[in-house]
Amino acid sequence: MNNIRYSKNMKLAQLIAADSELLSLLQRLDIKLGFGEATVEDICRRYGLSTELFVIICNIYSFRDYRPDADTLTSDDITHITNYLQASHNYYKQVCFPAIHDKIHSLVVELDDVSRHLIDKFYDDYDCEVANHFRYEETIVFPYIASLVAGTLAHDSEYSISKFEKSHSYIGEKLNDLKNIIIKYLPEEHSSPLRFEILKDIYDLENDLRKHSLIENRLLVSLVEKLEKSNE
Amino acid sequence: MSRQKKQTILLIEPSEIIAAGLKHIIDKSHEYEIINTIPHPGYYNSTQIKPDIIVLNPTTINYDERLDIRPYFCPGGDNITIVALTSSLHEERIMQQYDGSISIYDSATRIIQKLQSAVEDALQNPKGERGELSSRERDILVAVAKGNTNKEIADEYNISVYTVISHRRNISRKLGINSISGLTVYAIMNKLVDISELN
Repeated sequence: MNNIRYSKNMKLAQLIAADSELLSLLQRLDIKLGFGEATVEDICRRYGLSTELFVIICNIYSFRDYRPDADTLTSDDITHITNYLQASHNYYKQVCFPAIHDKIHSLVVELDDVSRHLIDKFYDDYDCEVANHFRYEETIVFPYIASLVAGTLAHDSEYSISKFEKSHSYIGEKLNDLKNIIIKYLPEEHSSPLRFEILKDIYDLENDLRKHSLIENRLLVSLVEKLEKSNE
Repeated sequence: MSRQKKQTILLIEPSEIIAAGLKHIIDKSHEYEIINTIPHPGYYNSTQIKPDIIVLNPTTINYDERLDIRPYFCPGGDNITIVALTSSLHEERIMQQYDGSISIYDSATRIIQKLQSAVEDALQNPKGERGELSSRERDILVAVAKGNTNKEIADEYNISVYTVISHRRNISRKLGINSISGLTVYAIMNKLVDISELN
């Protein structure tokens, strides 16, 4: 079913030429530009990344119908996945959300008092929610996985990855609400270019978050489940 | 409704065997006929074919897009009845977008019955984007914005909690807003409720 996709022998520059969206992956993984004719494999080796995983993530980003399969990865890749997810969180926190926040802030300046208060509060609440979501993953889920991988998990540890799956709320919901409020319900007289820019940012972020959760659900959870079973 | 004119169906199903079988069953009925069969939604062009009903195998749509099929098939908010043709189970939130569903294991009579009830359901609970909020929905939206629980709303309007939940689902679908805080923003901006009334 999976047609032609990226492979580790392709030049990294070729991948970027094929899909500029991959640039954001380089940005969050702190891969410096100027890599010349290096292949994907060269780069991964240089930066200590899992080549297999990197190719899968690039495929996820570029091909809508691509369904990643955890079977081609091993438990050695788990730490690479959490490293990637952490890098991705940092990217969202440092780049994406602040950019939207700044623009929302400039947008509400133009609005009447009530709308300004509402939108501001709505976005601030959302910001908190996202921060909590990331914090939960970073302080509970990732450390749990790290000790599971290292074999240092306390015997009385009650946590398991199935809890993560259950608690894994979809943080895209409010973003979607915000999008519809901006598209449909903010008064027409405030149809500034900024409104279009915010929407574009939100669509891009939503898209990215969807791929992020695909990596969590299809790759991370299934590999960790496997490891949990083998430890039983 | 005139008896002579059958309601037209577009079938989207990749299996030729299933498509042919369903066409055989449906075309024999007095009410419906399949006017076209395509293997994949990609062949659907909303400006050319205007069926009354689309019967669609949900697996022909990419997983990411299964939660939002209406804009694709009814871009102007047209009200086309969309019925799922299933051979396995699908998530409830995916199925909620359909006006009804047919299983490939249903009998011929059952299939026609299900089409009828889907058409009725589409009339009563239009899932198209055009729908304005009904006055009852507006009341419930206000109650939600004021922070009432489903139970409190059910008691106030003397309806079941289940009915409150379906109203809320319809409200969210019509507005495209799911979170309570988003609904509150909508309610205040449209002056359905005053900011001073909120807790």
